[in-house]
Amino acid sequence: MSLTIALSKGKLLAGSESLFRRAGLPFPDDPGRKLVVALDGLRFLFVKDMDVPTYVEYGVADCGIAGRDVLLEMASDVYEPLDLGFGRCRLVVARPRGQEKDARSSALRVATKYPRVAAAHFLERGVSVEVVRLAGSVELAPGLGLSDCIVDVVETGRTLAENGLAVVEEVASSTARLVVNRASYHARRDEVMRLVAALTAAVGTMVGTPQ
Amino acid sequence: MNGSQHRLVQVPPGVQCFVGAEARRRRRIEETVVSVFEGWDYEEIIPPLFDYADVFASPGLAARTYSFVGRDGSLLALRPDFTSLLAKIAAGRLADRPAPIRLYYSGEVLRYEPPQAGRQSELFQMGLEHLGGQSRSADAEILAVAAECLESLGIAEWVLALGHVGAFHGLVRALGLGEAAADLVGQRVEAKDADGVRAALAAARASGPAADALVRLSAMAGDRASLAEAAAVLACCPESAAAVAELQEVADALVAAGLGDRVAIDLGEVRGLDYYTGLVFRVYARGLGFEVGGGGRYDTLLARFGRPMPAVGFMLGLDRVALLLDRQQPGAAEAAARAERVEGDGLGSTLAHARSRRTAGARVRFAAGRGDSARRPR
Repeated sequence: MSLTIALSKGKLLAGSESLFRRAGLPFPDDPGRKLVVALDGLRFLFVKDMDVPTYVEYGVADCGIAGRDVLLEMASDVYEPLDLGFGRCRLVVARPRGQEKDARSSALRVATKYPRVAAAHFLERGVSVEVVRLAGSVELAPGLGLSDCIVDVVETGRTLAENGLAVVEEVASSTARLVVNRASYHARRDEVMRLVAALTAAVGTMVGTPQ
Repeated sequence: MNGSQHRLVQVPPGVQCFVGAEARRRRRIEETVVSVFEGWDYEEIIPPLFDYADVFASPGLAARTYSFVGRDGSLLALRPDFTSLLAKIAAGRLADRPAPIRLYYSGEVLRYEPPQAGRQSELFQMGLEHLGGQSRSADAEILAVAAECLESLGIAEWVLALGHVGAFHGLVRALGLGEAAADLVGQRVEAKDADGVRAALAAARASGPAADALVRLSAMAGDRASLAEAAAVLACCPESAAAVAELQEVADALVAAGLGDRVAIDLGEVRGLDYYTGLVFRVYARGLGFEVGGGGRYDTLLARFGRPMPAVGFMLGLDRVALLLDRQQPGAAEAAARAERVEGDGLGSTLAHARSRRTAGARVRFAAGRGDSARRPR
């Protein structure tokens, strides 16, 4: 039985492919619309980025690649033995430019794809929040009057700027992580460790290469 | 179904029921495990379903406990856990019994799960507690009992992942980490996120050999050889080194008993119920992404109830064992024996016949009388 690896077709796909190739590991050339691809002793699942930790936590996949932003939001019970270094971004609080300061004491309305992270961030600071969960285009919310601010990931900050938003606070920084199912880590230790070793070596060679 | 009937058959989230083959399989599993417990001379205890909420006052479980106010105003709770309950009984009702006390239980615990999680609220646990007695001997004994349960159940490719919370706590104490920093570091150690441990220690301004050892602790996992490596790295901290030595003694005993292939080491396993003080272990098997069961040593819990003595216990989750067996042996569920149809026109004579067939041991399907639905013309 081969190891099953959950990957997202989203923004981490190119980095994952490049890392696997550098590690001398198989990677499907073009998965196309296929969601499950078996290749040279590995089985790849292509799923939504927010779902990668879930597939790994339940053991449907032995390993996966997920951003730390997603891991924080999903709070899945998985091992995260390796920082893969790519997919660097920040989870931030952004507000409309010119309204960076909030003088009110009433609940803050926050639009986000990361409801758990957003709620925890403000509640820990003693700020009451009403979290509005959105599936995308979060940066539109303040301008349209849906929320006071947003919690979202930024890479360059261009999208925020185009929507009249400014970063007021960093919640967390994020990179892609290798995640491993807890049972697989012990019950399929040899195979998992071979994969971890190959990826660790490849991450070492990536230092300084453009993200 | 009309509207109100429709509402009545709805089920609340977190509950489940088992019928026929599924129920039979669960009963078989329970019988198998219980016979192993009995074989090692553990006595059954059937504790109450609810008790005073104070009994279960474990921070890790508090938020998941169903509690309610009794008629007299006392705060009660449905048992979320057997161990605290058994510790209380050993210190109270069984106070006169000399240690060691060996007890086993088999039954449901109830835990509140947030509605959106959709997890089961009712978990069936089969476990035992070894209270008092010599600690290393008790550790080795319960691991051997756990191993025999897995063997008797016919589970394939399982491992016992052994850890010891003393390795982690020793380093945390040596560094003098505060509670918040220790929690954060512990959480990163559990995630086997060495970079995260390093960052958390840097934020807490902790450095030196104990800090370096903590960073490496998350990866101190693998076969028994990793214990030797752990002993070298943790030599800087006497409490942690003692923990590794204890674990080594237990692992050696398992090897001598022919269980060497089943032993894995995981010193990064620091989580679990907050009352654990020594050995901790989890049972993993191929085909199930979660542990099948686990346990550990809790030497301070009984002091809470006024009878300080060391103790160790473990449990298997019936739901998880059933799921694992379904995965490992699909279609293996045994069918019920075929029933023999006992029919006749006279109610009394047929009943008498059915009783005689029962005495002979037959499984009977009683179908007396002309009005029996099976024979009614359509």
